[in-house]
Amino acid sequence: MAKRSKTSAAPPAAAPIATPLALPAELTIYTVGELHPQWLAWLGQGAAALPAEVPAEVQAAAVEQVDAAGLQLLLSLQRALLDGGRSLQIQAPSAVLRGGCEALGLGAWLQAQMSEGAQA
Amino acid sequence: MNQMTDADNSFIQEALPAFISEAQEQIESLEQLLLQLEDAPSDIELLNALFRCAHTVKGSAGIFGLDRVVAFTHHVETLLDKLREGQLDLTPDLSTLLLQCNDQLRTLIGQARDADTAETPEAGAERAALVERLQAAAGHAEAQELEAGLAPATAPAHAPVLAITGSARCWHVSVAFGTETFRNGMDPLALLNYVRGLGSVPNLVCDIAGVPPLDQLDPESCHLAFELGVETDASRAEIEGAFSFVRDDCVLHVLEPGATPEDYARLIEAMPDNPRLGDILVACGAITRAQLQQGLRTQSAAVAAGTTQQPLGEILQATSGVSPQVVHAALNKQTKAKQRDAAPATAATTGDDSRFIRVQADRLDAVINLLGELVIAGAGAALLARQTRQGALIEANGQISRLIEEVRNGTLQLRMVPIGETFSRFRRVVRDTAAELGKDVLLEIQGGETELDKSMVERIADPLMHLVRNALDHGLETPAQRQADGKAGQGRLVLSAGHESGSILIRISDDGRGIQRDKVLQRAWERGLVEPGVTPADADIDRLIFEPGFSTAEKVTNLSGRGVGMDVVRRNIEALRGTVALTSEPGAGSRIEIRLPLTLAIIDGFLVGVGASKFIFPLESVVEVIEARSSISTPDAQGRSVVELRGRVLPVLSMRTLYGLATDEPERISVVVIKSGSHSYGVMVDVLLGQHQTVIKPLGRMFRSLRGMSGSSILGSGEVALILDVNSLGELAAGKQSVPAQSPDAANGGHKTFVRN
Repeated sequence: MAKRSKTSAAPPAAAPIATPLALPAELTIYTVGELHPQWLAWLGQGAAALPAEVPAEVQAAAVEQVDAAGLQLLLSLQRALLDGGRSLQIQAPSAVLRGGCEALGLGAWLQAQMSEGAQA
Repeated sequence: MNQMTDADNSFIQEALPAFISEAQEQIESLEQLLLQLEDAPSDIELLNALFRCAHTVKGSAGIFGLDRVVAFTHHVETLLDKLREGQLDLTPDLSTLLLQCNDQLRTLIGQARDADTAETPEAGAERAALVERLQAAAGHAEAQELEAGLAPATAPAHAPVLAITGSARCWHVSVAFGTETFRNGMDPLALLNYVRGLGSVPNLVCDIAGVPPLDQLDPESCHLAFELGVETDASRAEIEGAFSFVRDDCVLHVLEPGATPEDYARLIEAMPDNPRLGDILVACGAITRAQLQQGLRTQSAAVAAGTTQQPLGEILQATSGVSPQVVHAALNKQTKAKQRDAAPATAATTGDDSRFIRVQADRLDAVINLLGELVIAGAGAALLARQTRQGALIEANGQISRLIEEVRNGTLQLRMVPIGETFSRFRRVVRDTAAELGKDVLLEIQGGETELDKSMVERIADPLMHLVRNALDHGLETPAQRQADGKAGQGRLVLSAGHESGSILIRISDDGRGIQRDKVLQRAWERGLVEPGVTPADADIDRLIFEPGFSTAEKVTNLSGRGVGMDVVRRNIEALRGTVALTSEPGAGSRIEIRLPLTLAIIDGFLVGVGASKFIFPLESVVEVIEARSSISTPDAQGRSVVELRGRVLPVLSMRTLYGLATDEPERISVVVIKSGSHSYGVMVDVLLGQHQTVIKPLGRMFRSLRGMSGSSILGSGEVALILDVNSLGELAAGKQSVPAQSPDAANGGHKTFVRN
């Protein structure tokens, strides 16, 4: 697993949070270091731009590889949103992401993040 | 673990010796703790330490798949836990049982080297019997608990929590991964998938409460914890084995199928950083909420007993008979929690472990051998440098020599271990032996911190053991006999160690009956060791017990009267270049003194020359050097003479005469004054060559019979120097004069030789 991250589809710097965050193909220990600042920026720039009721949207269709570190980053993102009174909405999780969550005992959590979107 | 790869197997093979030696240390400390606990049965710190030791053995045995050890230790642990929780008092019987279990554990660990060999049915039966007794003892604890008034809360709870359907047993695993998990290349996801391979995981909950919000997250630190049920036929060892690679960096609890609510309550208590654990446990179906609350109530009842105002505590004790231990345990837990709050840095406690490095003894030996060569080569280089008469070169060489000396001291220091460990092993021997003989003996240990070369410590243990047993068997009397003699009923046995003029002095003294000289003499006459009717001096009679095949015990006990007598002890000690001496006072006790050299490898020597020969004295034994004056008498045939030193007569040996060195006497002769034990004597030499780092080489077989020599050494020039044994040389110098009783004109014994010449 020597290959470093594939380019993550980070949003342009000025994009508001309304722009969905697209998860990269590889969501693992090898990419979390790069993703972390990008996600923080995404959080910071759009946090004030939207009303709290609107969930922050994450596009999860492209995920091809996950591990516990990658999922933990996703958990942390949700936690950050939750602390700010917001919610996370995971759109169209790929089979790999679903499987990873299932394996880590996060199946219910993923369902919850998906239904957030349904409610919204 | 059938999924184990060859790599795992070879890793285990490599790590096994380290595990065994570590486990043996744990077992040693278990024994010491148990013996200490006998004096302080309710010391909660000792109990905790005891539990930790057993737990460590169990845990690491699990990694190596030593199922017998794991299974057996588990039962011991259960009992220890009851003791720790204060549900059970440590009675002498229980203590004996635990000591026996510890012996069993030692045997099991000893067998671990070849784990595949099947054990004999007898051994299995013996262990099963111990397990039965352990369970009976632990069961007794539950009975006690019932009496203690906790019955209404706990009695129904002892039923297994979950009624498991099917044959597979459902374990509960609670694991909190350490922050370094990701960085160490471990993926909890993969680990959990591995656990699934053991059986099935019907319920799994990820505890995400520990995951910080994004802005506070170090994405490469792991904050995940899991609660899971595992339905499997695998053993505890196999389940714990799944986590073996993260074991150092995670908090792992594995609860047996059928764990009680108390177990879960304890689990919750063990993880105080996780307030939501109870909910999570309920969520993952490990326990129902009602059961959990019941368990917690039981716990908090105990806690309340310790923390609420004094009256309630007293009422609790008075009315429901909560044992003081329970209250104490609860209190202790409380204070500990407070301490933890006050000082969150718990790293300090674990830091101690990392200050030690385990090194294989033969690696160290290889370094010391090389060092020996280096010392010799260094001396050779220094000699050559002196011959060139170049100041700078000589100085540089001097610097190198000093550094070599420092390296030498440092390296030898690495081999030094305190003798206290060996001494404390005798606590058990004294306890058991005294009990067996119906004697009451107090063992006192002094100077346990005295350090000795490791190989020496190992080889002195057996002779010491023999001497201790001997003192218990022959020396100390039964309480009745002692009281009849007007002594205290409890006998005293003192083991002490200390430094004395460059050697280690180990002393074993007792206040028993002393050597019964009439019996010894009788036996010596029977055995023909002494001509019948002849009565030697007292000291010589005492010395007879070191003669081969000597035993005076009226009835041969299975302790010390086995015929392998004190002669073996003496031979073992002499093989270490040591000496053994015995003094005894009838009715008041005996004292055995063992003198051992500090090290077997390298010493600081004092190099002297006689004619063309070179000799080395251990530097520590050299007191002073005096110039020989005309006052020296002519030596006798054995090279003995005397000289007056500051008004006292000093026996002096002439090396030239003693070893028949056929050279002419020079004009000036020096006398090196040597101290050996409590005696001093002089040795006449031609030249003084100064301090010399001496690498001890053994003497060849041919020279073994030579008296006064202990070894040889190679000098920088390639010459061989003989190392003098100051003790036996001292005997030669003193001749028979050291035993005054034997000579009627003992008072002027020193002058006798003088007169004779």
